[in-house]
Amino acid sequence: MIEAFGLNSLRELIAAIFMLGGLVFFVGSAIGMLRLPDFYSRIHASGNSETLGCTLSFIGLMIYEGPTLTAVKMAFAFLIVFMANPIGSHILGKAAYKSGHPVWTLETKGAKKLVGLEKQDHSADEPVGHIRQKEDK
Amino acid sequence: MEKQGVLNNNNIVGSTLVHKLAMFVVLFGFWMVLSGRTETKFVVYGLITAIVTTWVTYPLLLVPNKDGSKRYFVFGVSIPKFIMYFFWLMWQLVLANIDVLLATTAQELDIDPKVVRFYFRADNPMASVVLANSITLTPGTVTINVTDDGLYEIHALTKGAAAGVLDGSMQKKVADLYGEKFDFAVAEGEE
Repeated sequence: MIEAFGLNSLRELIAAIFMLGGLVFFVGSAIGMLRLPDFYSRIHASGNSETLGCTLSFIGLMIYEGPTLTAVKMAFAFLIVFMANPIGSHILGKAAYKSGHPVWTLETKGAKKLVGLEKQDHSADEPVGHIRQKEDK
Repeated sequence: MEKQGVLNNNNIVGSTLVHKLAMFVVLFGFWMVLSGRTETKFVVYGLITAIVTTWVTYPLLLVPNKDGSKRYFVFGVSIPKFIMYFFWLMWQLVLANIDVLLATTAQELDIDPKVVRFYFRADNPMASVVLANSITLTPGTVTINVTDDGLYEIHALTKGAAAGVLDGSMQKKVADLYGEKFDFAVAEGEE
């Protein structure tokens, strides 16, 4: 039964199930990336793949590898992805926020609206990319 | 001045010796796993490397709190509590992942993107780091700004994600993890 799919043991079958589960989340991530309306929403779509997609794939690979040193090394790689990826997402979001990128909401539908900075005076002569601190107002 | 601050360990929270010992054990374990060889030569190399790395990097891993009266060791957290928190976070990730997956693949996009804000004050700067990272790691919420006075600005994708951030359960867990008192408030009327 298992051999029909090119798998040799039950372990490989379990590994394949985990990796396919990871694939579902990677595909969902790609779909979200295409469908979501603005920059901030798309960061969320990438979060789908970097957490559960990555977790399930690594668990699948570790089961496929069996109890060896390589599996432990995979666990380390997974933990580094787990710690480093949210920092990347946060820096991207913060950069967009600090430069006053508009946020898409159900009310505005992408109209020019500045997140959190709308109370401050963003005059037209402001150079592009200038970061305004809270004390500046 | 800065050098004196490093040498004077009166204001470090916890025992310096315990911190260094824990760091040495972790680094040596990491060496052994990555090398995978148990000949004397490689074990001795590992011991020397772990000792030197601990000695050089320990002063860099002390972060001061806001008024500079105390310094915290970055990894100075109870390991069993942290593992419990990690598994709780993994479970939250599974729920949030399924939520976002359903919202983004539904025929009509089931989203309500907005920015939510709350205050969370903690003396230990690592509590802020862990909270902000956990929020970003959870799909559907991204920390886009944290200010010095403890204001967190979170971009939430769905209604459920926004409610999940504002109910304060994750903040409570992080405060417990670092032994801080739970100082959390939803910021109103700023959107």
